[in-house]
Amino acid sequence: MPAIINFLTRRGAALLATWRIWRATFGLAGKVVVAALSPAVYNSATRTVVMKQIYFTAVQILVPFTLFAALLSFVLIQIVVGTAAEYGLSDYALEMSVRLLVLEVLPLVTALFVALRSGSAINTEVALMRINNELEALEDSGVDTLRLEFMPRVIGGMLSVLSLTAITSVLALVLAYLAVYGAQPWSLPDFARVMGKVFDGAILTGILLKSLAFGLAVTVIPVAEGLATPKMLFMAPISVLRGMVRLFFVLMFIEVASLAFKYI
Amino acid sequence: MPLRANLSLLDNIALIPQYRHNLDYETTSAQAWNLLLLTGQESAALKRDPQLSHAERCVAKLLRAAIERPPIILIDRPALLLPDTHYPPFLSDLLERLADHLNDCWILDYRWNEPLYPPHLLSPAPR
Repeated sequence: MPAIINFLTRRGAALLATWRIWRATFGLAGKVVVAALSPAVYNSATRTVVMKQIYFTAVQILVPFTLFAALLSFVLIQIVVGTAAEYGLSDYALEMSVRLLVLEVLPLVTALFVALRSGSAINTEVALMRINNELEALEDSGVDTLRLEFMPRVIGGMLSVLSLTAITSVLALVLAYLAVYGAQPWSLPDFARVMGKVFDGAILTGILLKSLAFGLAVTVIPVAEGLATPKMLFMAPISVLRGMVRLFFVLMFIEVASLAFKYI
Repeated sequence: MPLRANLSLLDNIALIPQYRHNLDYETTSAQAWNLLLLTGQESAALKRDPQLSHAERCVAKLLRAAIERPPIILIDRPALLLPDTHYPPFLSDLLERLADHLNDCWILDYRWNEPLYPPHLLSPAPR
């Protein structure tokens, strides 16, 4: 009997801890979104910090990530076009390539890349700031940490996911055109017709919402996990591990929800 | 307070009046640059936190405090900030250079470090 009570107590404590972290995550997401949409929040310092954050999260990685996305897109397009030709479905090769890359693979790969590069760094930074009492020091000296520390990171992450998804998607469209029609301009009307068929209003809204959700997740979850770190230095790597695992599942959940919404 | 890792030393100092008084970056960075010139650390202006030496980081933190001219600046156990520097003469020189920009500056240190400090930095009151 004591073993059962002990087991239930531990499971209950774990469940409560999970509930608390999710509540904190949604609370933080709400506060950050409200702050980001409030013009009064943007004073000279906030603008400087947000601009720097956008540079370090989005601009600095633009070239290497775009090159990688071009390579990935090229390989996947070749596979789709080749397979479609084998089965006599060449007419659908362009549409299949675009649906695969622009609607599904590139937004997810972009979110995973930003999560690995910036999300893990944000989680570590916030966890260490909490362990070293730096957040309390900032608040004691009258600094709004939401405005100066968390909101810039979230805006940087969201813009990073949105802009990198947009840039790599345009690149994938160009590569798909070249793979299907070759390097000539006479098939542009056919290409435009297929694009019009794929990208209707609902799909465009869906991509935008999915990318925004990805962007919010890759920054808010690491910040929330960092803020929940117990004040012990050895907990910093555990906090990052937990944050990244939660982030992975959330990204996958958003992707699966998006697929279900579109195709089921 | 921590320096922001993705801002340069100059930006970190300029950020304080930007935040407190919503001054534009040109004005605050000019103030920050003048303070850096006074301390002779202008070569570190564009370095970010991970690239700074202990002395440069200490100067950055002091200047972030000094740029607002608070009534008192307290340097708590400077050996923690300057583990690789013979810090009493370093601090003495730094405070002399910034004399016109500081109201009152207190250094809090262990009693057994008292002989390290030049006499003019020691408080006359019994401690």
